[in-house]
Amino acid sequence: MKYFSYFLLLFLFGVSYAHAQEKYTLSGYLKDAKTGESLFGANIYVKDLLKGTTANSYGFYSLTLDKGSYTVVYSFLGYQDQEFEIELNKDLRKNLDLGLKELVIKEVEIIAERDDKNTSSTDMGKVEMNVEKIKKLPAFLGEVDVLKTIQLLPGVQSAGEGNSGFYVRGGGPDQNLILLDEAVVYNASHLFGFFSVFNADAVKSIELIKGGMPANYGGRLASVLNINMNEGNNRSFHADGGIGLISSRLTLQGPIKKDTSSFIVSGRRTYIDVLMDPFISKDSPFKGSGYHFYDLNAKINYKISDKDRIFASGYFGRDVFTYNNTNSNFRIRIPWGNTTTAIRWNHLFSDKLFMNTTALYSDYNFAFEASQSQFDFKLFSGIRDANLKVDMAYYPNLRHNIRFGTNYTYHIFTPNNASARSGDVEFDTGDISRIHAHESAVYILDEFDVTDWLRINAGLRGSYFAHVGPFERYVKNENFATTDTISYANGKKVKDYSGLEPRVSMRFKLGLNSSIKTAFTQNYQYVHLASLSAVSLPTDIWLPSSDRVKPQTGRQYNIGYFRNFKENLWEASAEVYYKDMDNLVEYREGAVPEADVGDNPDNQLVFGKGYSYGLEVFLKKRYGATTGWVGYTWSKTSRKFDEINNGLEFAAKYDRRHDLSVVISHQLNDRWNFSGVFVYATGNTITLPVSRYFIEGQIVSEYGPRNSNRMAPYHRADISATYTPGKRKKKVNPDTGEKEWVPRKFRSSWNFSIYNVYNRANPYFIYFDNEGDLSQGTLDVSAKQVSLFPILPSVTWNFSF
Amino acid sequence: MKIQLPFPLMLLLWVSINTGCEKEITVDLPETTHKLVVEGSIETGLPPIVILTRSVGYFDPTDLATFRNLFVHDAEVYVSNGTQNVLLQEVCASQIPDSLLPIVTAVTGISEENLTAFDYCVYTTFNTSVWGEVGKTYTLTVDAENQHLTSKTMIHDPIPLDSLWFEVYGNADSLGLLWAILDDPAGEHNAYRWWAQRINRGPEGDPKDRTFVTPDNSVFDDQFFDGLEFEFAYDRGSTPDSEADDDFNIERGLFKTGDTVVVRFSTIDPAVMEFFRAVETQQLSNGNPFAAPAPVPVNIEGGLGVWVGYSAVLDTVICLE
Repeated sequence: MKYFSYFLLLFLFGVSYAHAQEKYTLSGYLKDAKTGESLFGANIYVKDLLKGTTANSYGFYSLTLDKGSYTVVYSFLGYQDQEFEIELNKDLRKNLDLGLKELVIKEVEIIAERDDKNTSSTDMGKVEMNVEKIKKLPAFLGEVDVLKTIQLLPGVQSAGEGNSGFYVRGGGPDQNLILLDEAVVYNASHLFGFFSVFNADAVKSIELIKGGMPANYGGRLASVLNINMNEGNNRSFHADGGIGLISSRLTLQGPIKKDTSSFIVSGRRTYIDVLMDPFISKDSPFKGSGYHFYDLNAKINYKISDKDRIFASGYFGRDVFTYNNTNSNFRIRIPWGNTTTAIRWNHLFSDKLFMNTTALYSDYNFAFEASQSQFDFKLFSGIRDANLKVDMAYYPNLRHNIRFGTNYTYHIFTPNNASARSGDVEFDTGDISRIHAHESAVYILDEFDVTDWLRINAGLRGSYFAHVGPFERYVKNENFATTDTISYANGKKVKDYSGLEPRVSMRFKLGLNSSIKTAFTQNYQYVHLASLSAVSLPTDIWLPSSDRVKPQTGRQYNIGYFRNFKENLWEASAEVYYKDMDNLVEYREGAVPEADVGDNPDNQLVFGKGYSYGLEVFLKKRYGATTGWVGYTWSKTSRKFDEINNGLEFAAKYDRRHDLSVVISHQLNDRWNFSGVFVYATGNTITLPVSRYFIEGQIVSEYGPRNSNRMAPYHRADISATYTPGKRKKKVNPDTGEKEWVPRKFRSSWNFSIYNVYNRANPYFIYFDNEGDLSQGTLDVSAKQVSLFPILPSVTWNFSF
Repeated sequence: MKIQLPFPLMLLLWVSINTGCEKEITVDLPETTHKLVVEGSIETGLPPIVILTRSVGYFDPTDLATFRNLFVHDAEVYVSNGTQNVLLQEVCASQIPDSLLPIVTAVTGISEENLTAFDYCVYTTFNTSVWGEVGKTYTLTVDAENQHLTSKTMIHDPIPLDSLWFEVYGNADSLGLLWAILDDPAGEHNAYRWWAQRINRGPEGDPKDRTFVTPDNSVFDDQFFDGLEFEFAYDRGSTPDSEADDDFNIERGLFKTGDTVVVRFSTIDPAVMEFFRAVETQQLSNGNPFAAPAPVPVNIEGGLGVWVGYSAVLDTVICLE
């Protein structure tokens, strides 16, 4: 309760600071002039007051000012600024379309950006990415991947070679809240992590919060990755697509009713299986084997009135791996994937009060089906969420930006379930196990200016989680034998938890272009990803907090110095963080997946603590012909579990002392863009055997302390060139008979990428090879390092019309 | 049971074949202490046999002298059946009567040729009071090199296979698997181990197998089929040091029509099953980047290895199409 009292005081102080004067509200929606897409993060700046605000994710803004005349500038990176003299003597609604800079006449001098969010906001560890810029960076096998670009930011680590998984500030993969149009995506990867589920053509904005998580987000310890899908062009029909080495893409979008309603449908599918199929003989025993994945994104929106809008969006993606061998009557089929659906209703109660109500559905399923002769085996797992949330934004005056809301989720977990059959005999794998839980939260936060130099974002989140029946708890003794079974009826509470999560961040402005920020966050995480493998796999299962598993808790402390140079052309920051975490989960040593079947999977879990600290340095050039950034992280991450590594502290698999990323993009002219990426990271931790002995003539390894060795450092450079043929062409004007430049309706571009340009053999894994026979004196023991990807060129053709 | 989760391995294989590259590297491993390793067994009607060795550093020398030096001599090894506690004698292969060599081979898995060529030493006893009996628990105590090791194992009731036959594998001509029917007793946690030995001779006139061979996943328990009667199949497997042609050609892992095969099927302690399962998993997952290394759950307190009671039943099958 003490946190709540502090917050209330802070809140009341902030609100009372506003003077009772005659005030009016300037509000409206900001959109892209060409597509009608809302402009999330656009700036609205009152020149006279040297203050402003930003548009929310629906493009809505609201400024309440004293009665008077103001010069207001609307700006957004990459768009032409618009400046207005506004006489504010009544509430004013100003919806505005901003045009891309390339659309304006070249002779107009481009006004320097005034985007100083980096130093003026209270945001810490928050990064927004531009999808169009991401598309010009080198792409692994030609597949543009937003998650792989995220990995190039300081504090964010790649899960491995070619892998789209990411770790944030020493957190595990389950500690990232990945949202697609606000729906949780539980497994964001295709092909065992080599590609992410996010089709860049369908993505509008990407926002990563790795520290200073505001109170409207919760449920995870490490980060929020908020991805919004495009809404669809509500002005004209368009098609975009691309053909790459791995997959092809097609996106269709257009108005259903101009300026009122639009749709977008975007699909992507890999086709190695389709291309290979004609080359596999009909008589081949492997006919029918293959792998593919696909994604389908769809979204429609409808503007009911000036105050009400509805958005409905969905994602459906699947990976399917099949293996047939008719020689041995052996078949495997492994499908897995996510489904998400979001229905959102925006409502303006007034020019100062914005509401977004969201109904969400999210589903992740994995199955493994195998058969051989008369054996049939199936393993399946998953998680399903139904979620309802209401988020309110209240803009009482220029100094305050208040948000509050509530969130409820009903979870159904399906941990490892199996069925097995030999001929007519059905094996006893127990009843299908499903675990039910309720999760809810309420929050309030206020970002407010205490003085001109001090801005505070103070928030409080209260969260609650209840694991409910039907449920059977198998009570185990020290030998893991079941000694008792406790049954819980449908809806009966098994165990519940609640927590208060204070979030505070403060910005101390030092001058026009620099500030110091500090933040503290406390988070609770009630769902856990249990992984038996050294990396994240689709087989990993999500489990709830229960009578055995307490919620994970984390506290993060940040402080940072932020400075912009040359009219915000350069953005620089240095942040230091410390994070400690409790009740982390891992499988006990030697756990096997089949032990989950017919048992409570959390009986195999053990619990521990962790901490992480580090320094992140970031330097970014924001605009101009050459843009890019340098990010460097020094960090240390440790774990301590009583039942792992003999209770001794060990380096987490996310522990990486140095991590450097350099990203450069250069627009040579209208047609050519060149980009390059360089990454360097300390080698991954690894557990290696330290001694060996013999049993029945076989070598048995005894492993050393967990993660006590490291592989060689990882470094790699990628380059790319994007060629875009002229956007205009000469055409004879039938009226004048003269040739003149007209815009091309059909546009295309080529992206040429080279991954790992200097062919570095980066370690993917190390194994110990034993050949020969010790009793003959011919045993040869050696350590081998396997690398995955050598230099890999790729080309992708993109088009739009 | 042969059905397992192979897809990470298949992916690994796919990736390695298609794009991978591999090189030998040097890794610095810390110095390690040598622990005593027990490889001991006791079987119905047979004497206890214990091989005592040491663990060595992973990259320690692998010459013959080092190999011989692995064996621990002059240890005090006792086996107790609850009433009798008998000191085992160290007997080297050269001292074992030829008539007993097949038994030692069967129990240790070491071929007669190797036993005699390298003069393996084992701890055993001719005192029949502690020879294996069904239903009894045997306690092993070892004192050597200032280390004290203890372990317990039980010889469970034998559970014979209901029937055993050969069946051609898929489309493979004249090659196949051995099939069996197991009727698992209900209400108790049973664990099993399977071996097979081809006792006919190969084209060169040599015995096809010189000892019993365990295939991969040779151990299993009745977690999912308690009290059920069902059919299952096993492949042939191979010995770790095999250089036989049929372990490298199309016949790899398969029995062949004309083979005469002795199947040895035994109940074992569930804890012993955990040990062998972990050892076999370790062999299969060596180098698998997705596998998390895990310690092998030994049933020897104070040391490494395994002390196992077998209640084996032998069956012979002739492979006919």
